[in-house]
Amino acid sequence: MSDSPVHRLPPTILFIVVAALGACVACAQGAAAPTPRQLIAEAALTDDAAKKRELIGRLMGQGDPAIALLLEAWRTDVLFVYTAPDGAKVPVLLSGEKDAAGKQPATRVDTNALLTDAASAPLRLAATDLTAAEHTSSLRRAMKAVLDLADLAAPEPAKRTKAILTIGLAQDVEKLPALKARLAIETDESVKRALRESIAIAQLKDPSNETKLAALGELKELRSLASTDFITRALKEAEEAKDPVLAGGARAALRAVESHRSFVDFFGTLFRGVSLGSILLVAALGLAITFGLMRVINMAHGEMIAVGAYTTYLVQNIFATGITIPFFGFSLPIFGLNLTGAAYQWYFIAALPLSFITAALVGIGLERSVIRFLYRRPLESLLATWGVSLVMQQGLRLMFGANNVQVSSPVYLSGNWLVNDIILGWNRVFVIGFAILIVFGMWLVLTKTPLGLLIRASMQNRTMASCMGVRTERVNMLTFGLGSGLAGLAGAFLSQIGNVGPSLGQGYIIDSFMVVVVGGVGSIGGTILSAFGIGGIDQVLQQYLPYIAPGLTWVPGIGSFLQNLAQDAAVFGKILVLAGIILFLQWKPAGLFVTRSRNLED
Amino acid sequence: MITKLTSLLGAGAIALGAALGTAHAADTVKVGVLHSLSGTMAISETSLRDILLFTFDEINAKGGVLGKKIQPVVVDGASNWPLFAEKAKQLLEQDKVAVTFGCWTSVSRKSVLPVYEKNNGLLFYPVQYEGEEESKNVAYTAEAVNQQATPAVDYYLAEGKKKFYLLGSDYVYPQTTNLVLLEYLLSKGVKLENIGGGFRKDGSGKIISAGKYTPFGHMDYQQIIAEIKQFAASGDACVISTLNGDTNVPFFKEYAAAGLTAETCPVVSFSISEDEFRGLPAKQLVGQLGCWTYFQSIDTPANKKFVADFQAWLKKSNVPGLVKEGRVTCSPMVLSYVGVYLWKAAVEKAGSFDVDKVRAAYQSGLSFDGPGGRVTTQKNMHVTKNVFIGETKADGQFKIVKSFQNVYGEPWLKGKFQAK
Repeated sequence: MSDSPVHRLPPTILFIVVAALGACVACAQGAAAPTPRQLIAEAALTDDAAKKRELIGRLMGQGDPAIALLLEAWRTDVLFVYTAPDGAKVPVLLSGEKDAAGKQPATRVDTNALLTDAASAPLRLAATDLTAAEHTSSLRRAMKAVLDLADLAAPEPAKRTKAILTIGLAQDVEKLPALKARLAIETDESVKRALRESIAIAQLKDPSNETKLAALGELKELRSLASTDFITRALKEAEEAKDPVLAGGARAALRAVESHRSFVDFFGTLFRGVSLGSILLVAALGLAITFGLMRVINMAHGEMIAVGAYTTYLVQNIFATGITIPFFGFSLPIFGLNLTGAAYQWYFIAALPLSFITAALVGIGLERSVIRFLYRRPLESLLATWGVSLVMQQGLRLMFGANNVQVSSPVYLSGNWLVNDIILGWNRVFVIGFAILIVFGMWLVLTKTPLGLLIRASMQNRTMASCMGVRTERVNMLTFGLGSGLAGLAGAFLSQIGNVGPSLGQGYIIDSFMVVVVGGVGSIGGTILSAFGIGGIDQVLQQYLPYIAPGLTWVPGIGSFLQNLAQDAAVFGKILVLAGIILFLQWKPAGLFVTRSRNLED
Repeated sequence: MITKLTSLLGAGAIALGAALGTAHAADTVKVGVLHSLSGTMAISETSLRDILLFTFDEINAKGGVLGKKIQPVVVDGASNWPLFAEKAKQLLEQDKVAVTFGCWTSVSRKSVLPVYEKNNGLLFYPVQYEGEEESKNVAYTAEAVNQQATPAVDYYLAEGKKKFYLLGSDYVYPQTTNLVLLEYLLSKGVKLENIGGGFRKDGSGKIISAGKYTPFGHMDYQQIIAEIKQFAASGDACVISTLNGDTNVPFFKEYAAAGLTAETCPVVSFSISEDEFRGLPAKQLVGQLGCWTYFQSIDTPANKKFVADFQAWLKKSNVPGLVKEGRVTCSPMVLSYVGVYLWKAAVEKAGSFDVDKVRAAYQSGLSFDGPGGRVTTQKNMHVTKNVFIGETKADGQFKIVKSFQNVYGEPWLKGKFQAK
């Protein structure tokens, strides 16, 4: 809504434009028919929702630029209803300079003249004293239909596409000429496609069988997913009318669309599998280091993820107006930078290194205070870290409250990229890209840096490394810090996808251990493979279980139970993955990749 | 272990309540408050305890009920369903409360129901529920399915929606509600193929479950959103969501990322009220619908006074653990509030605290002008009330777009609507 060019004009210019347009309308229209302005004014006043829609509908096709302006104002709550002292109601727009009391001159919507009182003196009104004209979603849709025609010529292709599809899906035959006229001059390929699709869908309502058949052919060629319902309806009509040619055309179109749908489903599932795999990988990578390399059964791994997520939340608030945290009886005020717009949107990028550092510091603190005493006692480290995890959860609850906190998505992560009808959400694309980056970064650190060499040496044989002069104490600390930092980074990502609450970590700890164990404890490559494997299988099962379900009624006893697969695919997918993992570990108890060591302890 | 600890704490609370109770037994009447103050449900249910304590203070300040001050006995169900039954037993058998206000989840209500029936107690239940139940020992001030779900469908139909996708958390309330909605949609002429989410049939081909279900705490909605996106591709589609609690966050995040909007495919959620927005990103839900018998944004003097009084009470109250900032009022809270006043009216009409007499008075049709308008009790222990449909605004409040006046609460809906 806010990207409408009209809306960005300063109020004074807006006012001049309104005045000029109004004058032009007055000269063009006769006195008999109500002008668009009068229609809008009447619609703003009536309480009857159906009447409102009808009045707005009459604006359709009227080439008056005031319509777009007024409807846009209405939709954005700046078209007001003024109640005169005598009780008469007048819809008005406010424009011009605000005085000290916040009052502005008001323009009548119906005549575009200045609003005056009984003595004909111009009235000044404040927006806060007026009520905005009401609108519901159905009315906004009616307005949209009017604006859509105007939007057919909008400069942004996305806006044009949306307007075109709206007309097409409504099968609005009356607007076909407008679409066809646009098709002749349209240059953008994707908009052209939308135009052809919309025209064809609308033409399915055409009385002539030849046009219908041509339209079906067009839809078949376009493989338009949006047209499924319309083709099905056309097929039914053709079958009822006993028209074999038309029915054949409809069936062929439906087949083409369905084959396209299975293509979209397949690659969509693939993408979703990779995206789920990336999330599992990002969440498990830290554990692959603390548990995999260091053999510390770190039950507080999930809380390290939560620390990262809360850091993101804090950074978001610092970029905005600041936040006050109750800190064990004290209130800890944190200042805000009061950034808005684009600068604020960068908060997430700033949060990434910060969440890594915060979690790494917490991890180092944990290693120094608890874990370093327990390196040779895995069971005790399990219990101790579990205790730490409970303490950390409660700490987060005390500081940030038991409720989930809100982390908003920056604009560059909220949209999607549509490739051949496959939706690629930006947040998911980002997670996949970043997972690759983190893995690459970690490979660099572990194999190409002196620190990596020391880490590998210490993890393989601590005593021997120590004998060779490696300060294993320090290496342990840094390695645990690295693992925790990676968990923190995972938290920053997960804040974009799910909830941020004190028990956030609990939701990921089991998955993380699962990924590391299946991959083979100690093998980073195995962790990567198992994350993508588990993610992929989970999504494939979710996608295709419902197709299997209806065929299972014959299974004696549990047939009707198995039909749950269609409704509860999300749960059954997960159950089957878990069952599969149990079987897999029976076969390969050490996971996908077995790390061998010459250490006598192993 | 945690359960034991909380039950100990709960026992402590009762002991305290009992000790206070005996101090002035003559001029007080004991009233039970049975909500989860710890565990997963605490976030929602603590608000109901708060509003109940506020209501008791309000009534006590005006002289109490039949000249007796209300003495609350607050116990903690700890989000533990069997514990709810134990606590109910304690309230009825040890504390001998005149009435109980409590429960949120249907499973907790089902858990305490036998206790109330055995002891002939009286429970006021304030949270929207699935119906198919009618006990003389429970006063359902809650929204029945026809006071929330079916009006929402009516609204959608009037908006010209033709395709309905049913989605919910996997437990009794969404399952039952969706089944009733399926019958309702079919009776309104919506075709079976235009109802999305999936079905399950029994051996004879009769549909025994409708809609898509995810477990509590589910995080990965990619697949379901992709399905909704395809379902909505042909236009005129909408989603009816009974998703509970924080699963709404990943759902709506994924929903927005897929390019779905309230204008192309709106979602009406039956489990998101103003109070839930304390933990949900309202910005991502702007334009989505809610349907309740009360919204904080109702523009009447009675509601404005109620909201202001509650805020004033929060400021001066010294209840331990009370959250004072960012508090709102919502439908379950108001139905708790209304419940107390309806009970008071019934007691005053009966002239006694005796459950049988109070019930008889309650069933005779009492009215109370609450913050959401007039409510009237019915013979079937439910209440007639106004239903509102609202659009979510960025500040977590609702803009009311439609209201239905005096809707009769009907618990028995399964099989009531016949397909055309």
